[in-house]
Amino acid sequence: MVLADSIVKLSITGSQSSLSEEDARLLRGLRAGIESAYEELLARYQQPVYSMVYRLLGDQNDACDVVQEVFLKVFRSVGSFQERSSLRTWIYRIAVNEAHNHRRWFSRHRKHEVAIEPENEEHRCYDITPDPGPSPFDWARNRETRALIEQALDEVSPVFRTAVVLRDIEDLSYEEIADILQVSLGTVKSRILRGRDALRRALTQRLDPGLSEAFV
Amino acid sequence: MSISCHTAKRHSAAYVDGRLRADRRSNVVAHLHHCEDCATYFEQISQLRAALKTVPERLIPHRLQTSLQVIASRQRAEVLATRGSHWKAIWDKWCFRINELMKPLAIPATGGLLSSLVLFGTFVFTISTTTRLVSYEVPLAYSSQTEANLIPVELGSHAVFLNMSIDSNGRTGDYAVSDPECKFRADLEAQPANIAMPSIPTVFAVAQPISGDIQIKFLPLAFRP
Repeated sequence: MVLADSIVKLSITGSQSSLSEEDARLLRGLRAGIESAYEELLARYQQPVYSMVYRLLGDQNDACDVVQEVFLKVFRSVGSFQERSSLRTWIYRIAVNEAHNHRRWFSRHRKHEVAIEPENEEHRCYDITPDPGPSPFDWARNRETRALIEQALDEVSPVFRTAVVLRDIEDLSYEEIADILQVSLGTVKSRILRGRDALRRALTQRLDPGLSEAFV
Repeated sequence: MSISCHTAKRHSAAYVDGRLRADRRSNVVAHLHHCEDCATYFEQISQLRAALKTVPERLIPHRLQTSLQVIASRQRAEVLATRGSHWKAIWDKWCFRINELMKPLAIPATGGLLSSLVLFGTFVFTISTTTRLVSYEVPLAYSSQTEANLIPVELGSHAVFLNMSIDSNGRTGDYAVSDPECKFRADLEAQPANIAMPSIPTVFAVAQPISGDIQIKFLPLAFRP
């Protein structure tokens, strides 16, 4: 009898949904085809998803394509969503996977293409001359350095960049990142560590090539 | 406990994020007190993390917002059409796919069906004619229809041969009785044929009657002394 009770308790615990009350309500609305639920989902997630995908891909057009694919998948799969994770984690997982697939497709099909148009004004600000100040990281609070950070992010391996973006820009917890990337917590820690280190080196090299040798 | 620079740097991510266990944290703090390089490294990582947090969000383009609204509207219409049933959506999708797949096969399949119907219609007439009974046009003494009155035949020799030509309808075109020893009684010449005729069915091959010559050999069961 005690064993049976334990099994029942375990099964109840195992089948518990990870959704918050708000997510559950939104999900019910989506499944029922309620217009306001669709609007709410877009209002809540389109901006952060776009921003994250942009950080992962570094290109506006690619980000737009991927975000459309992401929401198409979200809307189509909402009926089969098993509610084992939060709605945000699920959507971010789809976004990360789509960005990864897009990057793979890009590297396979478009790596030989050469851009005809010159780089736009926005990219020119990356070529600024570094100020020989006391520490290159003092620059981190001004606008130019933020642009440099974005370009340095592009130089980091996509695997590590994804972990850093999710942790330091999107401010997700280690557990959420592990759930999104479908890896263990140890792997998440390792990727964040290596990603930050790679970003530190890339940033140091851009700000002061001479100084960077001291940090490596 | 003293730790190496490598170990300290390995703990940097967890340290900065406040996820390091208390004992390890105190080891790292102790190491940073006397290692200037590691202290600089940790400071850089902390500043980097702070800088990453200040990176502004990339604003979503209006064009993309419009596209997403269109996508949402279409998907909502699909949900309403299928009343939210996932299985119905899958069923509708597969029905559509199968329809698309079968369209190129529709004309050949219809042609094949019609051809087979025409062929069957042609052959069904042949089959019905070949199965009807054949009325034998042979002189049947002591018999009616297909039942012959089998009377004993007196054979004066060891063997009497009956040669018959059968046409495609199973009818006897001609027949002759041969008696090599010339001991067969002439007045009974017709009787072997009378006996034989009703007993020979029409032979069919591939649903068609075949014609040809056959020979029947009569042997006496016993000789009258």
